Amino acid sequence: MSVDVKSEVVGSVWKVQCEIGQRVSEGDELIVIESMKMEIPVEAEASGVIAAILVQEGQPVEEGQVVVTIDEDK
Amino acid sequence: MNALTDSIVPGIEELEFRRELASRLGGEAAVARHHEAGKLTIRERIQGLCDGGSFQEVGALTGTGSYDDQGRLQGVTPAPYVMGLAEIDGRPVAIGGEDYTVRGGASWSGDRKKGGQGGFVEDLALNYKIPLINLCDGVGGSVTSAERRGHTVFPGVHGFETATALLGQVPVVCAVMGTAAGGPAGRAILAHWSLMVKGNSQVFAAGPPVVKRSLGQDIHKEDLGGSKVAVDVAGTIHDAFPSEDACFEQIRRFLSYMPQNVWELPPRKLANDPVGRREEALANIVPQDRRKAYNMRKVIGMIFDKESVFEMQPTYGKGVITSLARLDGFVVGIIANNPMFYGGAIDAAGARKQTHFIEMCDTFHIPLIFLVDVPGFMVGRDAEAQGTLRDGMRSVFVSLQATVPMATVVVRKCYGMAGMAATDKMGIGLKLAWPTAEWGSLPVEGGVAAAFRREIEAADDPKAKEAEIEAKLRRFGSPFRTAEAFGVEDVIDPRETRGYLARFIKAAQSSMRINLGPKLKMGVRP
Repeated sequence: MSVDVKSEVVGSVWKVQCEIGQRVSEGDELIVIESMKMEIPVEAEASGVIAAILVQEGQPVEEGQVVVTIDEDK
Repeated sequence: MNALTDSIVPGIEELEFRRELASRLGGEAAVARHHEAGKLTIRERIQGLCDGGSFQEVGALTGTGSYDDQGRLQGVTPAPYVMGLAEIDGRPVAIGGEDYTVRGGASWSGDRKKGGQGGFVEDLALNYKIPLINLCDGVGGSVTSAERRGHTVFPGVHGFETATALLGQVPVVCAVMGTAAGGPAGRAILAHWSLMVKGNSQVFAAGPPVVKRSLGQDIHKEDLGGSKVAVDVAGTIHDAFPSEDACFEQIRRFLSYMPQNVWELPPRKLANDPVGRREEALANIVPQDRRKAYNMRKVIGMIFDKESVFEMQPTYGKGVITSLARLDGFVVGIIANNPMFYGGAIDAAGARKQTHFIEMCDTFHIPLIFLVDVPGFMVGRDAEAQGTLRDGMRSVFVSLQATVPMATVVVRKCYGMAGMAATDKMGIGLKLAWPTAEWGSLPVEGGVAAAFRREIEAADDPKAKEAEIEAKLRRFGSPFRTAEAFGVEDVIDPRETRGYLARFIKAAQSSMRINLGPKLKMGVRP
């Protein structure tokens, strides 16, 4: 099943720390958003394989925006 | 079973017949329609929530009987409300809910009301001092009742007096299981904890037809009062779960932290988790780089008893995390800031959530533990327009009125008025700090530019001057310097947090035991 990983905050993408096809575990940091002068990690909501990365570094993101999708392990 | 034809029957046979009629609710067709909508009947709900066989119904015979011209009973349309006494985990509760299959669960009134405002089920909870569970699935008053009565009912004749009194005495849970409008929607708010079913329940002051008539707006009931509005945006209802069964499970869980009433302490439940457990990961969970956020929920999970954390309102006011949990088996309330959400700044929604949680814990003698990493109240035009300052100060006010023991652990930032809402400087209040802690009236970054503006502007290299002043001030910000002055009671190794707090929570039980009963609230909340 595909799981959408969302940014909880408005901000801009500071770092992309994952690659398509990479295996990740729940809780791994995938993306870092800069917001309110803080680096806010976006963590994997499930274990699986990165299916898509929907943002680039420097790009602004909205609250609730999907930034990564994961093909969840069954 | 057919209608009784013999007028001389033993009472027991009539009783069984009438009970059988009550069990049919609104009839086969109405029940089928209700099931097709993906909903359980009120009887199935009570059965699904409570201990097996524990439901002692009260008032099953209530309804409108129809009789033939010899006065023989033909049938009974049951009152659209089912209620009584039941048990959850062996503890008595008063429980009731509208029967949507009878007239859409509309208000009904005989000599005495069964449910709804001022109904028997509320009296049961109030007089027996047991928790009340409302399963809301009704649309409240109907204009058709005026035709039946021959007059209109003055608002408040069947009022919220008992529902209001209950909030200071026994735990009240309201679960919105279908569409709740009017009175049932109002009652859903009068709860310590309210919940609803995602996608299959709605709550609003009035539904789409009234909105259409009043404002000309065409809106679907899910967009008007579904969980995405009522829970995530408005905070009207506290939590939403994917199914009715999931709601029942969570209600049982919530009640497991609650005393039966305010004259009792919350039940201690020993976990197989040593009090002295030290989590190594706590030592470096807070990044050295103070710009970096970390996961506060992981901090909570490591400190408190395993599997004991019950978070409330996770989708609303996300800068604040409010959870019930256990420590050495004792129930505690946790208020933690969430640095992953705008650095943990408290906005209006976060403050409202914190205010409610403090009041609930204070009422039920649940000690509060603050895990603080708060840069302040949220700033900016939107935050001001939302009334962040007012809701934030209300939270400060309520925390100062609360008399339940509090302990504060400053994990990182503790600044300004928002920081005040997270501490109790008097009496049993305990302020602990991790070595990563920092505090003050406002963070150095923002403060230097404001306070040293002239000096910075006059410098050859203003940026370097600002950095120099910041570095100098930051040295005074060491938590150890405040500990020297006993401005905090202690600086602790993060790995000691569990053991340290557990000792104080255990010791606090004696004072709570002699301070049981309702809490007197005085004054005007800002």
